[in-house]
Amino acid sequence: MAKVTLKIWILIAFVIFSLIAIFSIPPTFMQQGVLVKSVEQNSSLLEHGLKAGDIITSINNQKIKNITDYSIAMSIFSDNQTRKLEIKTKDKDIVDLFGPDVINQLTVDIIPKTRIKTGLDIQGGARALVTTQNQTITDSQLDDLIAISQQRLNLYGLSDVQLRKVSDLSGNKYMLVEIAGSNPSDLEGLIAQQGKFEAKIGNITVFSGGSKDITYVGRTGQDAGISECFDVASGAVCNFRFVIYLSEEAATRQADATANMSLNLSTGGKYLEKPLDLYLDEQLLDSLSIGADLKGKVATQIQISGSGSGLTQKEAYDTAKLNMKKLQTILVTGSLPFKLQIVKTDKISPVLGEQFTKAIMIGGLFAILGVSIIIFLRYRKIKISLALLLVSFSEVIIILGIAALIKWNLDLPSIAGIIATIGTGVDSQIMILDESRFKTESLKKRIENAIKIIFTAFATAAVSLIPLTGVLGFMGISAAGAGLLKGFAITTLIGITAGVFITRPAFADIIKQVGEE
Amino acid sequence: MKESTISFYNKNYKKFLIIPALLIVISFAIIIHTYSSTGDFLHRDVSLTGGTTISIFSNISVDSLQQALEKNFSDVSTRALLDNSGKQTQIIIVTRESPETITPVIEQFLGHKLDPKNSSIEFTGSSLSKDFYQQLLIAVILAFFWMSAVVFIIFSKKFKIKFLAIVLNLLLGIFLGVFFLSLNVIISVVIFLAFVISLFYIYIKYSIPSFAVIICAFADILMTLAVIDLFGMQISGAGIVAFLMLIGYSVDTDIILTTRVLRRKQTSVNHEIFGSFKTGMTMTLTAIAAVAIALFFVYPFQTALNQIFIILLVGLFFDILNTWVTNTILIKWFAEHNGQSYS
Repeated sequence: MAKVTLKIWILIAFVIFSLIAIFSIPPTFMQQGVLVKSVEQNSSLLEHGLKAGDIITSINNQKIKNITDYSIAMSIFSDNQTRKLEIKTKDKDIVDLFGPDVINQLTVDIIPKTRIKTGLDIQGGARALVTTQNQTITDSQLDDLIAISQQRLNLYGLSDVQLRKVSDLSGNKYMLVEIAGSNPSDLEGLIAQQGKFEAKIGNITVFSGGSKDITYVGRTGQDAGISECFDVASGAVCNFRFVIYLSEEAATRQADATANMSLNLSTGGKYLEKPLDLYLDEQLLDSLSIGADLKGKVATQIQISGSGSGLTQKEAYDTAKLNMKKLQTILVTGSLPFKLQIVKTDKISPVLGEQFTKAIMIGGLFAILGVSIIIFLRYRKIKISLALLLVSFSEVIIILGIAALIKWNLDLPSIAGIIATIGTGVDSQIMILDESRFKTESLKKRIENAIKIIFTAFATAAVSLIPLTGVLGFMGISAAGAGLLKGFAITTLIGITAGVFITRPAFADIIKQVGEE
Repeated sequence: MKESTISFYNKNYKKFLIIPALLIVISFAIIIHTYSSTGDFLHRDVSLTGGTTISIFSNISVDSLQQALEKNFSDVSTRALLDNSGKQTQIIIVTRESPETITPVIEQFLGHKLDPKNSSIEFTGSSLSKDFYQQLLIAVILAFFWMSAVVFIIFSKKFKIKFLAIVLNLLLGIFLGVFFLSLNVIISVVIFLAFVISLFYIYIKYSIPSFAVIICAFADILMTLAVIDLFGMQISGAGIVAFLMLIGYSVDTDIILTTRVLRRKQTSVNHEIFGSFKTGMTMTLTAIAAVAIALFFVYPFQTALNQIFIILLVGLFFDILNTWVTNTILIKWFAEHNGQSYS
């Protein structure tokens, strides 16, 4: 009977912990419900305590098993009436009256089968590297940029957004924006726009974007919407309008600017002589005629309008809505004190992600199988081939487990790293097998020799990967390429470290027993 | 093995060094040729030169799209991607233009908008891509030197010299990280060469076997790069990372060989070489099998993995040559020069 040594127990323990890290307890693939991806800020649901990451299990006593169940349950709002909702999550029970806008406040998704997250280049999504134009960005500017971009993206309703500072080997600093799973059509506009909004009458700026001048920006219901659509020669145009409230100070400024203004007689005296010009980043966005009755008056409520065009009315409608949303966002967040440029954008379609993941898994499986066949042909022992197969799989499981634990997104470079690890893992096991066959020394001594060689191989691989991880920042070696290839180094390092300390010593113990049999 | 073959090998093995030596010269020639015609050691793809790659999931004719794009842009290339059954799955458009200038023209040709459901768009600005490239090269250079240092530390004997090698390599890291890109080019190169010469002097003087391993790793990289250049393969950041992987993979077999030959007591050098050859070949063959199988499955998706796997495959084949010809001859020479017997 084979003895399970301490090293083998350690391997088993690590594999079990990794499986728990990957699938969690109870396994996520057995859980029923839908996952809350995001809850809009300042929404009634958020006040009730619902938050991203919750799992909705039932709505109005109907079991929610999937997205279809959820859509059916929420279809009670199709008549635009306020309804009573009872939302049950694993640990909460929310009961209240909700309006139809609750549907937009909440985004849900299916519960992922595992806790392994794939990178943008596999699951799809958008990524951008942003820095300032014509000057090096300072740390505090970068903080401002991240804060404002965060706010803009949140207002825009995007979930799963990551914004972080990155710097590279040459000392350049960037904001890295990563949006998993979705590609906002106007990412550039949202994150790289300085967003300097000014409303001018003649040469006088009466108010600008941000909370100092604008106290409220209407974004839903009566306060905002598409006002009209019509066909033009080149396609169609839709107009939007929304309401904003000015601060007392800004409203007074406007009153002062119009106080001595004469009427525009060509409009029959209906409007004042000069319009209110709206500028975004120094470009004229719109000119609003000012009603004659507003002359010299302190009016805090102003209606902002604009338009969007397209080849069809549908396209124009969508563009107008998008433009409105963007302008609203900029009015709320105000402008950045510097101009920005996008130095890299990746917008990866999610279409191929699933097929690719499958191909990778099948490919990996066959690769390990192919290796086992070669091992079998060489050693002619089924036990040895099986042990090698099992130990290789356990290495993959441990890497995936640790990746799930540290919430590392597995992107393509990371997968290359996992494959590299399997390769070196197999190499090490072959070394153990062959060293253990030298009959001149004791088996223990032979395996010690093998472990020594493996450590050497480990050390050479580890030092050659370290420069890529960014841990050498103190000696000026930041992660190359703004860290976009870090995944390779991280997974390989996890893999080979787990390899030399856990899996390969256990394999050596297994081989000792096979050898002694 | 036949007595006559063994005695022929023992007498003439040094002459076989001509094979790797020739290949190294040819590789240098190819790389220098690439440098003189393109201004760089390798063909960089747009992610490292600056530009846009657009993948459209469509089976429309590539030629007509190319014609439509050529009317507006001088620098644009299109190609079709086929799956393993030969069906067109994607069109890849590569250009130096920004996405803002080229997408409207493509959309006009297609008659619909490009969105995440039908396409992927990747853009890298030219100054950023230049930085990326330089940084990756520095990472590879440093990786190579640190790997060399580890090999030296393991096979050399004197503690003081090992310590000196560590200090020099740390200094080299700081130099590459902080000064290399900011100093004047000539000064940078001179300081770098000073590091290289002093390190290699130490390695040769105090541990020829580790220097042999380092030479083999270098030859692997050099020959692989030459083949990649010869086929005109365009390299992205992932491709450069593959060279890092190669450094890790290729020294494994050299380490086995060196360790076994150096530690043997009663056995002959040839016996140890043959034993390590069996182990090392199993290692390399399993690696080649794994990489080739994985490549077959992911190939149709045309991701960065393809490049990584192809570079690894080429590198692994050269590693067979460099370990079992180059390194083997050098270590046998060294062992016998030190007065150890062979049979």
